[in-house]
Amino acid sequence: MEACADMRRARPLLGTFVEITGAGRAAGDLGRAIDAAFEAVARVHRLMTFHDPQSDLSRLNSAAGDSAVRVHPWTYQVLQTALELHRRSAGLFDVAVAPALQQMGLLPLQNSDVVTIPQRASAGEAVELLGNCRVRLRGRAVIDLGGIAKGFAVDRALEVLRSHGLAHGLVNAGGDLAAFGAPPESVHLRHPANPRRLLAQVEIADVALASSGRMFDALQFAEVGHCAVIDPRNGAQVRAIAGVTVRAPSCTIADALTKVVMIAGEAAASLLTHYRASAFLMLASGEIRATADWQDGIRLAA
Amino acid sequence: MTDWIRLTAPAAAAIAIAGPAYAVQYLSVEEAQMAAFPSARFAEVQAGRVWKTSTGGVFVLDHVIGKHLYIDYAVALEGGRVKRVDILAYRESYGGEVRSPSWLAQFVGKTAASPLKVGGDIRNISGATLSSLHVTEGVKRILGTYGSLR
Repeated sequence: MEACADMRRARPLLGTFVEITGAGRAAGDLGRAIDAAFEAVARVHRLMTFHDPQSDLSRLNSAAGDSAVRVHPWTYQVLQTALELHRRSAGLFDVAVAPALQQMGLLPLQNSDVVTIPQRASAGEAVELLGNCRVRLRGRAVIDLGGIAKGFAVDRALEVLRSHGLAHGLVNAGGDLAAFGAPPESVHLRHPANPRRLLAQVEIADVALASSGRMFDALQFAEVGHCAVIDPRNGAQVRAIAGVTVRAPSCTIADALTKVVMIAGEAAASLLTHYRASAFLMLASGEIRATADWQDGIRLAA
Repeated sequence: MTDWIRLTAPAAAAIAIAGPAYAVQYLSVEEAQMAAFPSARFAEVQAGRVWKTSTGGVFVLDHVIGKHLYIDYAVALEGGRVKRVDILAYRESYGGEVRSPSWLAQFVGKTAASPLKVGGDIRNISGATLSSLHVTEGVKRILGTYGSLR
């Protein structure tokens, strides 16, 4: 059978629209590869969602201050990466900011008996990785993987496409995306202040790109009004920076680093360098900053 | 240590782009049916909206239509459970404040070495995440309405 030019599919997963593109194999093979890649995304969703009491994440949160919980190796891997980022970012990347998100109504309370918002702890103190995929949460910590799981899902899905021998693949989970193979993919960046506008265009190949900013209602494109990025130092929403796009070798890292850059801005430079990442950001004032390596690839809307 | 550069977004960046700027047709209804229930026969029980399959499944086509967004999606039900959800078509419409078929020509490289691809479609968008809540709610509603259809 002849190689199919390009197959592109989309499903609602991870709270957003996940799009998977494959090329370089016959249509039947592409269909199977893309189905398997969606299954990897769905598995990450099931393991790490805050909204299902059966997820690894919910089981961990319910057992906080009590027993250790055995989790899927993927959940363990995400927690390991999250803790490493927590350490390297001096606490700015923090999966334990969930209570602040609950307070803002961005995450539901875990059970109806809980009237008070749980105390916020820092991930470094709250999460204990015990080895052999066992994890314990100390105290009354509540964690949320919303700042990293989407990027991890993109990496897992891309891995599936590669393992099926595709020449080209792209996974875009609501703006957190990664691609491999030729030709390079062109990506447009939304204006952080208005999703109806595009701000810039960039080309990517064999690299990941993730963005963070304020949230928008998909149906109306109206601003929901909240920034889901919390500064763990004071529990408040980030306001100085309107939006950030990070490019990195893995989407897990790109996704997580967008949160650090949202909080720290230009001060995140050395962390970006450590992860071989780079960033493009818009301040609340509308001014744009980018790391020097964006100079050649970026085109601003004129 | 990483150095930062300042970029200037031209004032015109504040103008909305031509619409519809982003439209993708992923699957036809027939393709979505075949993907959800391979080798099944389909009997239409509600015109253009609900099909029953020879294998005991139910296939429902639905739309989410907003001010700036239009989504066709299909829900495949089997044994009272959601088997699969596919997006068939996705379009972001931009209201048409600026109408220029080659609006991509407006993207100029400040220092870009590579030649600009003019007239290409928008392939991928990154930015603040758009919520899929309305589709998720639609799937729940369809499961509630048609979940017991046999």
